[in-house]
Formats: sequence, structure tokens, C-alpha cells
Amino acid sequence: MSLTVALSKGKLLSGTRDLFRRAGLPFPDGETRRLVVPVGGLRFLFVKDGDVPTYVEYGVADCGIAGRDVLLEAGSDVFEPLDLGFGRCRLVVARPAGAAPASVASTVRVATKYPKVAARHFLGRGVSVEVVSLAGSVEIAPGLGLADCIVDVVETGRTLRENGLVEVEDVAESSARLVVNRASFHAQRAAVKGLVETLERALR
Amino acid sequence: MNGAHRLAQIPAGVQCFVGEEARRRRRIEETAIGVFEGWDYEEIIPPLFDYADVFTSESLSARTYSFVGRDGSVLALRPDFTSLLAKIAAGRLRDRPTPIRLYYSGEVVRYEPPKAGRQSELFQMGLEHLGGDSRTADAEVLTIAAECLDRLGVSGFVLTLGHVGVFTGLLEGSDLEPARLEDLRDRVEAKDAQGIRRALSGVDLPQDRRDALERLAALAGGSDVLLDAAEVVADCPAAAEALGQLRTVWEALDRAGLGSCLAVDLGEVRGLDYYTGLVFRVFAPGLGFEVGGGGRYDTLLGRFGRPLPAVGFMLGLDRVALLLARQKGEPAPPPEPVHPVADADLGSALAEARSKREKGVRVRLDKHDGGDP
Repeated sequence: MSLTVALSKGKLLSGTRDLFRRAGLPFPDGETRRLVVPVGGLRFLFVKDGDVPTYVEYGVADCGIAGRDVLLEAGSDVFEPLDLGFGRCRLVVARPAGAAPASVASTVRVATKYPKVAARHFLGRGVSVEVVSLAGSVEIAPGLGLADCIVDVVETGRTLRENGLVEVEDVAESSARLVVNRASFHAQRAAVKGLVETLERALR
Repeated sequence: MNGAHRLAQIPAGVQCFVGEEARRRRRIEETAIGVFEGWDYEEIIPPLFDYADVFTSESLSARTYSFVGRDGSVLALRPDFTSLLAKIAAGRLRDRPTPIRLYYSGEVVRYEPPKAGRQSELFQMGLEHLGGDSRTADAEVLTIAAECLDRLGVSGFVLTLGHVGVFTGLLEGSDLEPARLEDLRDRVEAKDAQGIRRALSGVDLPQDRRDALERLAALAGGSDVLLDAAEVVADCPAAAEALGQLRTVWEALDRAGLGSCLAVDLGEVRGLDYYTGLVFRVFAPGLGFEVGGGGRYDTLLGRFGRPLPAVGFMLGLDRVALLLARQKGEPAPPPEPVHPVADADLGSALAEARSKREKGVRVRLDKHDGGDP
């Protein structure tokens, strides 16, 4: 039985394509607009990056590639057997440069695309938190008075600097992960094992 | 007031089954019960609620519907059967000789964010083997699980066997604080070797134990994994003992002809507050999550004053129904002939219907449509 692989067309796509090529695995060509693409014994699903863990957890896809940041937020019950190394970034708390430290206010108001991760981070440290959940452009929230700080991913830190923000705390590190459905892992052991080992060899 | 619209709306997580769907579920239940009875298990119908203290599993406590009784005591709707059965076995059945074999079939109620195969009301069919020789009981329960799946017509199912003692054995003497342990457990469960290494950084543990824990991530697959595992735990007596128990059960099942549906998964480390030995889950092609599972819990009955080793297993009826629908499609209902009965005189119609019923005929009472005034 052939495997179904869930991918996102977001920032992990080029790294994923490179890895699959290096591993000698099939990969859909060019700019197809199709969302379900069978190629050489694999079936690829292109979905929104935050949805990859969901497709894999339900077993609609046997495997998928998702950032650890997305997995942390989704909290999905999937196997994560491989760190693929690309798409490295960090989840951090950032606040306006020169702003008073968090301890001044009893409750931190944080704007983020990662509401669960942000809440867990502050509550885990005993800090009261109000999470303002946004879909994007999180960096502008503190400057406009929507929040005291943000929890977001940084790669180079440029976006933060341009919006007058500085990192104050690390929340988590992230990189692309191979995720595998728990039932597929066992019920399609040979195919899954083959894919994991092929990718692992390409990573060495 | 928003009361009126609730008369049409339903609360999240509840289900209702009608006609063929209900019949299909009943057939699944009857099949499972037939197998349980066939292995000489006795049915137990436990209460729907009990004191909340009875249900102490940490993973369930946040998901239990509890309420205050008239006398001020805290009560809970049963979130699982095992605790109730343990209480009854230690209490009302305390003079029963062991082993005690009990089965149940019914609903449990949990707060669950609605997901596929996971409603707030879950229908579980399962059994508990209390007392008696542990390896024999483990093997018996797994054999029964396989027979249930066979008779239900599930194809390609896999029983994944693990043993929490391998994980806890490797951690012996490490004194991990609960939050770190939970983080580590989560990474082992995710088979994330790098994550395991990170979770162990700064923990006081010899290097060989760290390496072994990291390798747990890869110890899942066929019987060859048992050999790899033996090497990994060779220097850790507690973990080696646990693995030995798993192997004994595996070999017995293999000799009994079940080898082809077995898998090893030493990364199965859920419910550490509850399971003490062998743990297993059932997977099958067509469903992305387990159909059921079980394991050994040797400390639970002691809480109720009758320390007995115990092992149990459970199938989720909702999940079996979903799996069978995906594997076999929606089977057409068997055509059962219905005999309409109608007579201008209601008494005669009923008399005719009764006489047909006596012969076991399926009847439908219709209103006579000719010549009624």
C-alpha cells in the first residue's frame, strides 16, 4: 500500500523538496495547483502548515512534514521520529526595546499565533497571562498597544528589529520534523520504515 | 432566556444511534460478549456513578464529570470501568477465589474535546483478569483480544506490545521531578530521539542509561526489535526483567499462531500512574488511532484493600464501528420480511398479530384503510 504524505506549501516546502530529491524520493514537479498529487508510489497532500499534524493524527495522511513550532501548538498525538534539520527557527518572547520588565504588571498581555504555547510558557512560570490570538503580523501588536509582548518565531531577528522589538526569553527551538501516524507506523510498518530510513540516510 | 433553543440544540460530544446503525453497534457488542463468555468471563454491570475518590487515574481526573451528592459527598460519573471493577473485586467479591475473570460492556463519560472516535460518551467493551499467574493472564488477555478482532471481521490488525518497566527500570534512581518526567515521557512516546536527549540534559543519570533511553525511540517493530532491546537493557536488571516478561508472553503467543499480528513498541509509556507492566494497543488499517488496548496494573487493587495483580483490555465500540465501516463499507441491513397486519376490527388485528408473534414472525400493525367509518 502506498503512503500518503501531508506537506504544506509554506516555508518548509523548498527544504522538503531538496531533502526528497537528495533521498531519491519522488516529489511533485513545479507549480501544480492540485492539492492531492500522486507521484511514483507516494501520494502528496498539500495543506495549510498548521493542518499537517491534524491530517497525520487522524491517519488521513500516514506521514507529514511539520515544524516543531506547529507541533507544539497543535499538541497532536503523532510520532516524530526524525528531526530533518531544515527550517530552523526559535520561538521567543519579544517586547518593545526599552519597555519596563514584565514584573511591573501583574498580568502579561501577549499577542501570538501560538496561543497554547504562549499560555503554557507563562503559566508554567507562574505568570498570569492574557493571550491575544492573532493570525499574522504579530510584531506590530505591542507598538499599537494591543499587547505588552509577543510570542513568535524568529529566524534572523530582522523582523523584530525593524518593528522595534527585542528578544527577552526563549520559549522553544524549532525545525522541520517528519511526523508519522501511530496506526500507520505499525499497520504499514514496512512502507513507513522504508521512508524513515531513506530520509535518515539522506540526512547523514 | 436562551432556554428554548436548547430544545433543538444538542450538547457537544453526545451521540444518538437509530435503526441500522444501532443494530450494527449491538451486533458488535454481542460478538465481543460472545468471545468474553467463551473464555469463561463473568459479566458485571457496575454502577453508573460512584464516589469521585474511586477514580484516581491522573490522566482521567481532569476529564471526569463530578458532582456533589445530596449528602455533600463528591460523586463522579464513571470515566472508566477498571477502577470500579477493582473496587468491587476487592469489596463485594473479596471472598471469591482468584483468578477472578470479569467483563463489562457499557458507556463511560468523559469531558473530551470532540475528535474522531472520541466523544464524551464512549462505549467500552472490556475485561479484567484479577489475581492468578501474571504471564498466563497477560497471554490469555491478548489472545482474547485477537479473537475478538477476528470475529468482528477486522482485517490486518496489529497488537503492539510494550512494557512500562523497561522505561521506569532505565530511570531507576534518577529522581526526576514530575515536570521533567512528563516531558521525557512525552518525547519517548513521540519516538523523538533528539527530544529525549534534550529532556535528559542535566539529569543525574549514567551515560549508558541515557543512551538506552534514547534508543527506546527506535525500539518499535517486529520480533527483531526484541533482540535489539535485549542488548539495550543488558546492563539494567530492572529493565531486562521487564523485557523478559514481555518476551515470555510474545513467545507463547507466537507459538499459539498469533505471531503475524504482533508488534513491539517499547515507546508505549502512557498512563505511568496506572500501568505497572505489559501494555498493549490495537491498531488496524483504516483507522488512524487505536481501536482499543490494555495492560497490567498490579497496584490498583491494593488501594481498595485487596492487593492483587491484574490485567485488562478494552475495545472502543465507537471505534470498532468506525473501523468496520471503513474496512468493509456500509453493509446493507439483512432483509427481514415484515408481515403487515390490518383489520377493520382492532381486536381481531391484535389477535392476528399475537398469533403471528407466537410463531416468531416479525409483524407491523397497520391501520385498516378500507371501510373504516
